[in-house]
Amino acid sequence: MNKLIIAEDLMQEHEVKGYFEILRESVIRSRLTMTAVFFKLANSSQGTDIERHHVNHQISAFLKSKIRKTDLLFQLADGVHWGIFFLQSSEVEVKAFLKRIFAILKQEREFRQIALKASITEIRNNSVNFETLLEKNKQKLANSEQPTWSIEQITDYSEQPTEQVKVSIIEQNAIFRKVLETTLNHLDIPHFTLDVATYEDGYSFLQSDSYKTGHMHLVVMNDILPRKNGLEILHILREMPNEKKFIIYMMSERNSEGATLNAYEGGVDEYIVKPFNLRLLEAKIKRTFARFWL
Amino acid sequence: MIKLSLSFLLTVIVVLLVVLFIFTIYLLFQRQREIRFAEMRDTFLQNYSQHWYNYLINDEIFSIVLVPRQRAQVAAVEIIFSSYLKNIMNDKVEHKIKEFSNLYLKQFYEKDLASKRWSIRMNALYRIADLQIEDLLDTCQQFEKTKISEEEYFQLLKIYSLFQPELFIGKIKESSVHYSESEYRRLFVLLEDDVFIRLFEDFDSWTKNIQFAVIDTAAVKRNMQYIDKLKQLLIHEIPEINIRALKGLYEIGVIDEIDPYVPFVTSDMWEVRLMVAKIFKHVPLNYTYAYLEQLLQDENWWVRSQAAKTIAENKEGIAKLQQFMESSNDQYAIEMAQETVVRKQGNK
Repeated sequence: MNKLIIAEDLMQEHEVKGYFEILRESVIRSRLTMTAVFFKLANSSQGTDIERHHVNHQISAFLKSKIRKTDLLFQLADGVHWGIFFLQSSEVEVKAFLKRIFAILKQEREFRQIALKASITEIRNNSVNFETLLEKNKQKLANSEQPTWSIEQITDYSEQPTEQVKVSIIEQNAIFRKVLETTLNHLDIPHFTLDVATYEDGYSFLQSDSYKTGHMHLVVMNDILPRKNGLEILHILREMPNEKKFIIYMMSERNSEGATLNAYEGGVDEYIVKPFNLRLLEAKIKRTFARFWL
Repeated sequence: MIKLSLSFLLTVIVVLLVVLFIFTIYLLFQRQREIRFAEMRDTFLQNYSQHWYNYLINDEIFSIVLVPRQRAQVAAVEIIFSSYLKNIMNDKVEHKIKEFSNLYLKQFYEKDLASKRWSIRMNALYRIADLQIEDLLDTCQQFEKTKISEEEYFQLLKIYSLFQPELFIGKIKESSVHYSESEYRRLFVLLEDDVFIRLFEDFDSWTKNIQFAVIDTAAVKRNMQYIDKLKQLLIHEIPEINIRALKGLYEIGVIDEIDPYVPFVTSDMWEVRLMVAKIFKHVPLNYTYAYLEQLLQDENWWVRSQAAKTIAENKEGIAKLQQFMESSNDQYAIEMAQETVVRKQGNK
């Protein structure tokens, strides 16, 4: 029976468990992907206890030297697995990281005793718990047919949740209001559903209270509106404590630098001069939402 | 004392009552007609707005139900078209609207041009331009020969500028009607670039209002190809044209060389010096500082203020102004520099 070898200066499985839940929930709240990587020694049963102890420390020290300050390295209780949580990183970045460190390990003479294999899990939702994550990755890495230096992938948690977005169109012209409504209702944005409502003036928008909910809220409005104009609404929304949830697109017939500057300084996210191309509006909105997830 | 018989008075009252009654009936009838018109227009809008969206935006097949048969329906189509043209920029949509208008709305506007009412004729002229009904160009030329108002002639010029620029340039050359600068600007802004640039040829043959409008429109259009034309006007003998050309170049915001502007630093007119101080905003400070320093010591407050602002907008501008304050003896200039530095630092 092999003796369990634990590196003293690394975080251990039981210590990380508590953090994991916080990290997982912050993935949803901050819309930043987290990627977990697990390593296993491919030749863990070879060599004497002293040699294995040396290899174990070498791996721990090596991984520790390569991670960023925002990454969390830990060792599993069985002593032959290591895990890293890469915060704010997608699997593409992590794969590049693995290729880089595997190349170093294979090249350097001092690491010749080390042979690793890895598995990657991209986490974009909160339907995973720590035990299941460990279990699934261990199972992947337990496969004796998996070649050394190969990278396996678990894709069960890479689907981000669908988020509801409130959309308010505030435009006086009834025909154009309908055009915008139809266009935005047909807009397909992956992982977001748009709940579109229309208003003909600023006052009816403010009366609706729909802007008081916690949802992300896209407001597409004209700068000049009857009964509370666009700039007043902009000011009200940007004064709210949770103003960051509003994405504000302002449409205007004024194409002057002064008007544009004024709008951006007031806090609009996009200033669109009329007449504009509807496809351009769609593309801008899609890009805005694409930025939300890493 | 005038004596009126009772029967006469009664007759007058009855006649007046009858007139009043007829007038009331007429008003009620007119009101009813208006209501019916509005209802018909709104029904068309309600029933076919979505069809129009599908046809114009989604490229669905054209349906004959979209063709208006009555005035009220024409009014509805006008509302739909103006909403699209005012808010959406899309060549395909514009082409479809133009094609439809030339085919199905032409006859309505042709009839309107023959109307006795000025407002109906004006409305038709506006629509012909907005909906680009080119097929009515000949009718418009015929219409010009009739007795028309100045406003109608102005609208006709707008139509010519859109459909036949050659004719338009010929008309403004020979025109006996003179418009204001802003009216000419409204006409010129619609011109295609290749037609507009021709207004710079024979520049001196135009009236002052046209000359000013040409320069100002070039500034609004912000097209690089007008830079050379405006630069040529810097040596024009009329100072007002120099100032406007400088203003136009400032608006376009691309200054490729400073030599043409240097002589204006010492101009006799403060407005010219002010414009140069503004223009130098678009040039790196190391090329212009010597001139701006000179302008900072100008006798005019506006020029001094603008020169200081232009210097301060540069990254090293504040340091330059502080250096200037230490070395200069000009109290006015020092105060201006100081004020600008304080304001700039306060904004940060």
